[in-house]
Amino acid sequence: MPAVSVRDLRKTFQLKQKAAGLRGSLRALWRPSFQELDAVRGISFDMDEGELLGFIGPNGAGKSTTIKILTGILHPSSGEAEVLGRVPWRQRQELAFQIGSVFGQRPQLWYHLPAVDTFYLFGKIYELDDRELKGRIAFLAEAFEIEELLETPVRKLSLGQRMRCEVAASLLHRPRVLLLDEPSIGLDVVAKQRLRMTIQRMNDLEGVGVLLTSHDAGDIEALCRRVIIINNGEIVFRDKVSALKRRYLTVKTVDVRYNEQLPPDFTLPGVEMVKVGRYGAKMRFDTRVTPVEPVIGGLAAAGSLADVTVSEPSLEEVIGAIYGQAESKDG
Amino acid sequence: MVRHVAFVLALWKTNLLSAMEYRVSFLTQMAGMMLNNAIYFVFWIIFFARFEEVNGWDLVDMLFLFGVVATGFGVGTYLFGNAVRLSFLIASGQMDYYLSLPRPVLLHALASRSNASSAGDCAYGLLSFGAAVFFAGAFDILMLLRFGLGCLAAVTVLISFLVLVQSLTFWIGNTNLLTSNAFNAIVTFSLYPITLFDGTAKLLLFTLIPAAFIGALPAEFVRRFDLAQLAQICAGSAVFLFLATFVFYRGLRRYESGSAFQVRT
Repeated sequence: MPAVSVRDLRKTFQLKQKAAGLRGSLRALWRPSFQELDAVRGISFDMDEGELLGFIGPNGAGKSTTIKILTGILHPSSGEAEVLGRVPWRQRQELAFQIGSVFGQRPQLWYHLPAVDTFYLFGKIYELDDRELKGRIAFLAEAFEIEELLETPVRKLSLGQRMRCEVAASLLHRPRVLLLDEPSIGLDVVAKQRLRMTIQRMNDLEGVGVLLTSHDAGDIEALCRRVIIINNGEIVFRDKVSALKRRYLTVKTVDVRYNEQLPPDFTLPGVEMVKVGRYGAKMRFDTRVTPVEPVIGGLAAAGSLADVTVSEPSLEEVIGAIYGQAESKDG
Repeated sequence: MVRHVAFVLALWKTNLLSAMEYRVSFLTQMAGMMLNNAIYFVFWIIFFARFEEVNGWDLVDMLFLFGVVATGFGVGTYLFGNAVRLSFLIASGQMDYYLSLPRPVLLHALASRSNASSAGDCAYGLLSFGAAVFFAGAFDILMLLRFGLGCLAAVTVLISFLVLVQSLTFWIGNTNLLTSNAFNAIVTFSLYPITLFDGTAKLLLFTLIPAAFIGALPAEFVRRFDLAQLAQICAGSAVFLFLATFVFYRGLRRYESGSAFQVRT
């Protein structure tokens, strides 16, 4: 049985509309008008126990709404969902004992108190006995490298330190599934890497399944084997991260440098020349149109090579291309 | 039930720890509220210096009334500090936190904050009750029990009323002004002798603005035992508690969350 199962899930919000200015306000007072916004439009997916599943999309794509439905915060407009065999919006309290959640924009640690005080409060909330709780705090403090931070008021922690404490707090009760909504939001590169490492470590150590939403493709690339991409409330891609790369990473960029001068009209068949200099060039080609071998052969034949770099687009660029495709289909 | 009690005690302890981070602010707010209440009572002292009683109520009755009301308000808004900002929590999507944890949402939300100034109300209420007992010249343990029960009823009806009003946020959006008016109305009317009102006004004080259950009724019950009043107090508390819980959870189904950045204090 999958840990998370979602079938044709939909969520529609009613948004009040108002024209600009005083006249618009008066009209809205007298005759309010509403527009329906389909935040989630019939999505279906499964997540296995212990799986690290990426759930990505741009702002307003429906990621957070889906996560909120799966934690029981929101009721869906229609469709079905089960998390660990429970319907979140009907069995919210039972389910909350089995899952953990972290929302990057909504801290759960008490701002003026040291994180350890919130940990003890969570111990009562999750009905952990004192000895078990102390052991668990010690274990998580070591795993997340937060021993030195636990007794510092949360307001004095950096964002990265705070986020590691947040994720540790959500794991106190040994959840089987962790729902992480934008945990890396606002973090710098180093803090992001440390957070990813700790999430990976907890997955390895305790087999906790993680549904991770992010609009940072790097989070997904570093942690997840499988990814779901959502745009405008619909799933536009679902497969392994490696398949995503294989399918979309067809455009290669080549930077080449020679020991001797290049002719100014240097070209290769099927290759777009981005820039040609006296001793080097930058070019781009699509492997579906032009195979790699003749390009490399052509470069070698053009002169004495000093250096060659072949690079692929980043996952961000790939996802941008997928969003673009999805939007042009909608349009 | 025991597990919920342990959880609420842990919440109150965390609130206290949070308040102790800013001790001076806590003590200043507490003292300020006590002074505020004392100044308000001075007007009644001046009034009763001129008129011995008003429709059967004298200064000692007013001391009992202030004792119950201030203690009830103080305890209620200290232990359930979010009762005065529930509308804001709902409108700004901050109920997410309580919904994601395995506890009753309403209880968790209400008990997650303490107002420092409420401790001043509470201390003033106890002093007022002490003064009432002193001037009445009659005290027994049953009176203390009646005072405890009266304050419990005041807390229950006050918090239920605030929850009821602010639950309208689920249907009509922002209710900040309505909440503020409702709070002022219930405070104001609970601090007058009930004998000043009759007919429709009295009916309103038992229904739409249930100030009678917070002030006059428990205050009279504290001074002298009356079975009918006890029944009224218990029934009133039960009805308002039920209504508040029912309406809040009905509204919660319409909760739409939010995406604003938040901080837990």
